[in-house]
Amino acid sequence: MMARKILQSIFIASIGLPLAFLLLLSFGRRWPYPEIFPKELSLAAWGFLDNSNMISTFFLSLGISFSVALFVTLSAFFISKHIAYSKKRNTFMVLAYIPYLLSPVVMAVIFQYYFILVQLTGTTLGVIIAQFLIAFPFGVIIYLNFWNENLKSIEELSKTLGGNAFQTFVKVLYPLSKNAILLCFFQVFLISWFEYGLTNLIGSGKIKTLTVQVFNFVNEANIFYASFACCLLVIPPMLLMYLNKRFIFFAEKSE
Amino acid sequence: MMENILEIKNLDKTFGKETVLKNINLSLKKNAVVSLLGASGSGKTTLLKIIAGLEHQNNGEIFLNGKEISNIKPQRRNIVYLYQEALLFPHLNAFENVAFGLRLRKTPEKDVKQKVMQMLEYLGMPNHATKMANQLSGGQRQRISFGRAMIIEPSLLLLDEPFGALDSTTRQKMQELFKELAKTMQLSALFVTHDLKEAIVMGDSIGKIMKGHLKQHSDLREFYEDEESGVKKEVEFWKQFIN
Repeated sequence: MMARKILQSIFIASIGLPLAFLLLLSFGRRWPYPEIFPKELSLAAWGFLDNSNMISTFFLSLGISFSVALFVTLSAFFISKHIAYSKKRNTFMVLAYIPYLLSPVVMAVIFQYYFILVQLTGTTLGVIIAQFLIAFPFGVIIYLNFWNENLKSIEELSKTLGGNAFQTFVKVLYPLSKNAILLCFFQVFLISWFEYGLTNLIGSGKIKTLTVQVFNFVNEANIFYASFACCLLVIPPMLLMYLNKRFIFFAEKSE
Repeated sequence: MMENILEIKNLDKTFGKETVLKNINLSLKKNAVVSLLGASGSGKTTLLKIIAGLEHQNNGEIFLNGKEISNIKPQRRNIVYLYQEALLFPHLNAFENVAFGLRLRKTPEKDVKQKVMQMLEYLGMPNHATKMANQLSGGQRQRISFGRAMIIEPSLLLLDEPFGALDSTTRQKMQELFKELAKTMQLSALFVTHDLKEAIVMGDSIGKIMKGHLKQHSDLREFYEDEESGVKKEVEFWKQFIN
């Protein structure tokens, strides 16, 4: 019992302490060696919020990630169905893993030439399309396990009971797939939110997402501003994690 | 003379190079049940799916009440196809499962309540209306599945080994229930099974599919007389224990 409590405390501390330290650093001002904590605290980094660039960076990142997550969630839902029921399901499955084997940044190098040709580099739309191309196969992978023979039979049954394609989707497929849809949206949002290499390359330094901004601060050795940007960076994922826990885990538990 | 509700003429079906059904001819009289016998992989399920509109034949015609239905979508055929598994919608309770077809047809709420409760009582399950699928036994799930199909009064019911997953006692009870329902609700049905006894018990007449060919017998006597039906062999087998 005691050992379990200790292990639980270690687990909570391993997650909570870095976050608490990040928050502390974002209020730091002077941090000379060999001090463990910053010597002075100030609101200077957070005062950066007044700087309209930081707020717009936050909302730009949110907009890009939300768009990518939405497009991937919707398109992968319908396309994965055709892949799952096709005879070449396994071949498509292998192909879906290729962007991850090559890594997004290598894919970005491959895309870049074509993006320059159609003048999409350095644009928000270009970044959204590039991230979509990376995240789409991942969405397909998430959905593939959802489509199975049992679901196919349920769908067919709904049709013979008189349901057209729309009614079957609304009354049968959507209620049964809600968890998979939420899971896909959250996962793709996170992929897009923390994407750096591809965004930096296709965005050509003009599209500054929050993740790109964090790396810029780190490169400038501005640890306090980097911590502040990181605090902004972890808010949406933490909110998503809360929603995920509330709507997915709770729904699964109550079934 | 009773009219045929279903007529299938010269139907063929191939998957790639494999011929699954060849020159199938079948007729089903109104308010009658035809049992379709056949081993696994003989094409029984494919034939039912083609009739339901879930698969398409390569050649041949299907007439329902005298109308050719090959190009009609499954949802417009008024033919319900029931699987071996009850396949209750897991997100709906027993009441809503039975009400499903009525809701698709936008039946007024008052009528839905009345019809569904009437059906549940008929199935002996009025106390299970609020239970979810995972709270029901195999036999209860199958009852709800029947109720869900019959409440929309389909022209034709296609049953694909509906009792295959049940234990022998429940299976026998369900056979009796189906016989009673078929008689009371004047159902027309094709009942697929690989069990010889079940085919005889359930059907007014019997057809047997072997290697993609269907042989339909006009009555049980004719089926018994046919050497290929396997009935005589079955009778001989049991006789040895009597003598």
